[in-house]
Amino acid sequence: MSTALHWATLAAYVLGTFVYLGFLLHQRRGLYRMGLTILWIGFGLHTIALGAVWYEGGVVPATSFRQSLDVFSWAIMGATLVINLRVEVMILGAFTAPICSLLLLAAGLLPQVEVVKSPVFQNLWVVVHVFTLLSGYGLLALTFVGGLLYLFQDRSLRAKNLGASFQRLPSLTRLDTLNHQTLVAGFLLMTLGLISGAVYAQIALGSYWRWDPKEVWALITWLMYAALLHARLVQGWRGRRGAWLSVLAFAALVFTFIGAGLLLPGYHNFTNLTDLGTVQP
Amino acid sequence: MNLFLVGISHKTAPLKVRECLAPEPEETGELLRRCMGLPGVREAFMVATCNRVEVLVASEKDDTADTVEAWLGQGKPVDPEELSRAIYVHQGEDAVRHLMRVAASLDSMVVGEPQILGQIKEAYRAATAAGSSRTVLNRLLHKTFQVAKKVRTETNIGGAAVSISYAAVELGKKIFDDLAGLTALVIGAGEMAELAVEHLMAQGVSRVLVANRTLERAVELAGRWQGEALGLDELDQVLGQVDIVITSTGSPEPVITHKLAKKALKRRRGKPVFFIDIAVPRDVEFKVAEIDGCFVYDIDDLIQVVEANRANRAEAAQAAERIVAQEVVKFMTWLKSLGAVPTISALAAKGEVLRQAELERTLRGLNGIGPEQAEAIDRLTQALVKKLLNDPILFLKDPSHSKSEETKREQLALVRRLFNLEGED
Repeated sequence: MSTALHWATLAAYVLGTFVYLGFLLHQRRGLYRMGLTILWIGFGLHTIALGAVWYEGGVVPATSFRQSLDVFSWAIMGATLVINLRVEVMILGAFTAPICSLLLLAAGLLPQVEVVKSPVFQNLWVVVHVFTLLSGYGLLALTFVGGLLYLFQDRSLRAKNLGASFQRLPSLTRLDTLNHQTLVAGFLLMTLGLISGAVYAQIALGSYWRWDPKEVWALITWLMYAALLHARLVQGWRGRRGAWLSVLAFAALVFTFIGAGLLLPGYHNFTNLTDLGTVQP
Repeated sequence: MNLFLVGISHKTAPLKVRECLAPEPEETGELLRRCMGLPGVREAFMVATCNRVEVLVASEKDDTADTVEAWLGQGKPVDPEELSRAIYVHQGEDAVRHLMRVAASLDSMVVGEPQILGQIKEAYRAATAAGSSRTVLNRLLHKTFQVAKKVRTETNIGGAAVSISYAAVELGKKIFDDLAGLTALVIGAGEMAELAVEHLMAQGVSRVLVANRTLERAVELAGRWQGEALGLDELDQVLGQVDIVITSTGSPEPVITHKLAKKALKRRRGKPVFFIDIAVPRDVEFKVAEIDGCFVYDIDDLIQVVEANRANRAEAAQAAERIVAQEVVKFMTWLKSLGAVPTISALAAKGEVLRQAELERTLRGLNGIGPEQAEAIDRLTQALVKKLLNDPILFLKDPSHSKSEETKREQLALVRRLFNLEGED
């Protein structure tokens, strides 16, 4: 059931990607609306699919790398659609839909891992930890995309190169609003995610902080985003510098998420998570 | 039926005068009803934008233009002499041509700008709601919309960002998204700077500051745009509040230095500033363009922006004028035909043409038929057509005085449509 839903979601995202590419080419508002509708449908399917995995597995669906990618894709798409209700950046879907498709595809191709049905993962704190953190990551991914678009548009304006891409990209102010809102909301969720993780570590493992590599990297990422937020709000780093910093911070985020999850040792590593299932809370 | 178009536009009157004449949007219906009360006026239409105020009437009388002109200026806080110099009157064919040119954006401040058609459609809706647009104006306006659409699709006029000011507005929108509520600062004066300001204001820029070497000149310009005047030495204090800066001074030294701009950006917490430097030599120091959030376009940059589109402009305008000219002729033919006599002769002529065509085809098909029989068939068809058209013709000739002129025109228009006497529809 969940597998079929998974592929149906992927199909919707891929279709949405193509419709958005059509919109990029032809600039027809109808195509944009169609693409948006398809992505909403895809997101609905995705939500049901994750619910099904959760129901079938009995634990929050983020105990393997495969599932984490799945939830990450869901979070990015959700963030795209929700932020679009506040700040309409019509071409945003053209960038996030392919990203979400690729993440889903990767998740689908990775081997299925036996779900660890441990009470460790059934605690409400884990649910809060996983979903706030990944929703935050989804929003910060948009800050990254928005930052890149900002840099691109800024360069076009400075170089006085007002070609097709200039016409299609939204205004600097709109991109800046997008970056600002996603950064604030993303940072807030990320903070909540880290706090809930610490609280849970205290409950389950007996200490708030264990110098686990992923914990350290998450802290580094958090500090970078805190610096970015400070620079924006206090120093007025709205323009290029803010955009560059958001790109840099997102690189740290991706490393925390993928690098520390796969390459570095520690209990947060996805292969070691299985062992964690044996710990008794 | 005479058509008169009375109005003022950006070509004949400054913004101040145009503003005086322009009604509030919600007044339009009432104004149209009052206009219908003027002697001779049968139909009325009024369009008011920031660039023009025009009244189009269909009238029974020949001197309605003067009546409308006097009515337009009535009770308005405007010097009558200045008004009479600014007002233009077009009659008949010229009025039709003018309306079509306006709708096709050939008379706009920025030729090819797309808003005007929407504004005319809106004005037409108001006229329909007020009941002041009837047979003649309904047809004229519908034809006008068709012409405007045709011009837009068949020529390249709309695709061209054709003026420097327009380019400045488009660039501003790519920086600020929406120009509504922004503050603009004009340093120095000059026709181009003033035009740019008026464009920006039309796009929603709400506050204008004017800085000049001589404060009197600044006060004078500021008065025109209900802005604030300041001296050049005050730039330092206000630069942090403005979003768009238009510089056009004769100063040999840059007026906006790197230091000044840097400080302003800091005070704005990085909110971008758009510098439009029209002056030669330039008023904005070269290094300002490197500051984060500062976008500097000088006159050459703006020209470059529009250059690509400019080549096609003259050609497109010519093609558009041709389309308008054709449609003017067609409409005038229709208007003249809108009497009983031309309609009856058109009806009779159509009957005869159809009869001849059918007769010839029938006779060709019948072999070995004598001249007597042929003549009988000819008589038969004649009688048939005559009898068939008899009643409609009597109806058209009906001199009954109970019918108003308007009803008669409507009926004529209906008969012409019923029998497809327009030739084109």
